[in-house]
Amino acid sequence: MNVLPLILYAAAGVAYAVHFATRRPQAGRLATTVLVFAAFAHTFVIGMQTMEVRHVPFANASSAISTFVWLLALSYLYLEMTSDERSMGVFIAPMLAGLQTIPAWSPGIERIDPMLDSPSFWMHVSSLLFAYASFALAAVLGLTYVVQFTEIKKKHLGFFYTRLPSLQTLDIMNARAVAVGWLFLTVGVVVGVIWVTQARAAAPDDPNLRAMSLDDPKIFVAVLTWGLYSFAVLARRMMGWSGRRAAWLSAVGFTIVLLNFLPISYFVRTSHTF
Amino acid sequence: MHLFLLGVSHRTAPVDLRERLDFSSRDVGAAVETLAARASAAESVVLSTCNRSEIYVASSEPSRAREELIAFLSEYHQLPRDAFLPHLFTYDDTAAAHHLFSVSAGLDSLVIGEPQILGQVKDAYQAAADRHCTGPLLNKTFHWAFGVGKRVRSETGLGEGAVSVSFAAVALARKIFGRLQGRRVLVVGAGEIGALTAHHLRSHGVAEIVITSRTAAHAEALAAETGGRAVPWSDMPRAMGRADIVVTATGSQRPIITRAEVEAVTGRRRPDPLFIIDIAVPRDVDPAVGEIEQVFLYNIDDLQGIVQENLARRGGEIARAEAIVAEELSRFTAWQRSRRAIPTVIALRQRFDDIRRSELERLETKLGGLPPDARARVDEVTRLIVEKLLLEPTEQLKALPDEETQAVYTEAVSRLFRLGDGSDEPDASPMDERRRRK
Repeated sequence: MNVLPLILYAAAGVAYAVHFATRRPQAGRLATTVLVFAAFAHTFVIGMQTMEVRHVPFANASSAISTFVWLLALSYLYLEMTSDERSMGVFIAPMLAGLQTIPAWSPGIERIDPMLDSPSFWMHVSSLLFAYASFALAAVLGLTYVVQFTEIKKKHLGFFYTRLPSLQTLDIMNARAVAVGWLFLTVGVVVGVIWVTQARAAAPDDPNLRAMSLDDPKIFVAVLTWGLYSFAVLARRMMGWSGRRAAWLSAVGFTIVLLNFLPISYFVRTSHTF
Repeated sequence: MHLFLLGVSHRTAPVDLRERLDFSSRDVGAAVETLAARASAAESVVLSTCNRSEIYVASSEPSRAREELIAFLSEYHQLPRDAFLPHLFTYDDTAAAHHLFSVSAGLDSLVIGEPQILGQVKDAYQAAADRHCTGPLLNKTFHWAFGVGKRVRSETGLGEGAVSVSFAAVALARKIFGRLQGRRVLVVGAGEIGALTAHHLRSHGVAEIVITSRTAAHAEALAAETGGRAVPWSDMPRAMGRADIVVTATGSQRPIITRAEVEAVTGRRRPDPLFIIDIAVPRDVDPAVGEIEQVFLYNIDDLQGIVQENLARRGGEIARAEAIVAEELSRFTAWQRSRRAIPTVIALRQRFDDIRRSELERLETKLGGLPPDARARVDEVTRLIVEKLLLEPTEQLKALPDEETQAVYTEAVSRLFRLGDGSDEPDASPMDERRRRK
């Protein structure tokens, strides 16, 4: 089921690339249309899975990635439609397609521990996934900022200079994406802590629940991420860290998020399934 | 009706002649009105810029239109015909449309791809349309030309990249700051290029232009010209601290802005970048200033380098733009051809309808007893039959591939149905004809 969105994301990626290279408005409109269809198809897939297992599918790493991709696609489409700026699509759409290959190849089995089946747990996971989607956007905006900055600074006004938006636009969009992401990250972490406290009271002997502390690599890295983005938000306000510094911070931040999401989930045993 | 064009441009006439044939310094609208009042042309548009003066007319007799337009030019500008005749170019129909499309696309401009021309073509058309001097042919042709200009602009890089130093500076500023509304500009030195850049920045809506010069009077004069504010030379560092864009163009032999001075203001300033445009020779700004993180420093050579690259890139886009013009032209000529079929189509319809009516009249005695709604239905049904019979032939006539074929077909249709022939007998129904032959 996850294959159809994958194909459409890939097709949108190709159309965005054509639009980026040739700057033909028709290619751009086609790219957006295909991406909207991809998002619709993905919404349908996630909706079907939700009906089937009676909750939004993110109880294993694979389905969580699928949900993350879906949220990223929606956030990107929101950004594109509000800013009327299509040039980011060439970076986002391949990322969507790349990540979507994981749920498309190995869908995973959506089995849920009854202990996890509580509203605060769902809120914890969905807030975090949305935060990560925002950080992904921020990172792409940050990297394109760095590319554009370097071209202008080095007086080498080449391929990207003509195609990317202004530094100011990229910086403002980056700031917005980081702020929204940080807000959801905070909500996700706080709700997670509340949920653990409640769950521990209900099942004091559960080994997984016991392991949920800062010693757990997953939780440690998540807190580190929160620290880094809190710094990014504060530094912009208090120390004027915008532009290239903010761009690098969001790129580093998202690298940590990705590390936490993929390798740590797959290779390190933690108290979290993903 | 034929499209006819007569004019001079930078390709055919020297600048002094173009100046003498210029309409834009006087009221173009008045010129169109004068022309419409005296010439036999049914429609006319006058396009006049510093690089061209062109008159587009719709006329049934292009050769007569030519003579009339030459006489008009001579009288209106009070110039003997011989002064401009050797420099005139004339085109009709497809060639005229091709010329207008190329002009709108920026292909015929002195600086290929310059963006103002499309606006000038639109203004010229509007001036004529406002005075009811345009009609079906020029309306369609000019709107088509606007579409061509727009397509070339959006689908090729012909109009892309600034091709003058001051435009290049503004384009860079926009890539750094996005919209320039609300930005502050400091102009150091009151020279010509500095003034030009200040004007361009002003037209992009910057909030404030501050001008400083060693000679206070020069600064005051430029301030008055650009709607800016002059400040004393000694206030330059403070003004730089508030500015987003600094344009320096003094005649100083030594750098007047050092790295330490810029660091002093960028250290304290908000995190926004500072864009310094140094168009002075020798340079006004120490090159080391460009190493500061938030500072983008461009000198005259950098900007001229950009201009050269853009010009080269535009050159590479000409073929793509010409292909668009050619494609649109073939669609336009197809439209024109279909338009030429219209009189035949109208005559054919008239003929069929006359037959229908006469048949209905002939049957009046038999149909007389019918109630009014049944009569109306009979009328409707016969009308629909005629419509359906004519639908396909009409489409086919309009879609014929070239003028010759169209002439043959129109002739054939005219003969077959005796169109435009006064001796036809609308009363004679096909039945009567057959009876007569028997």
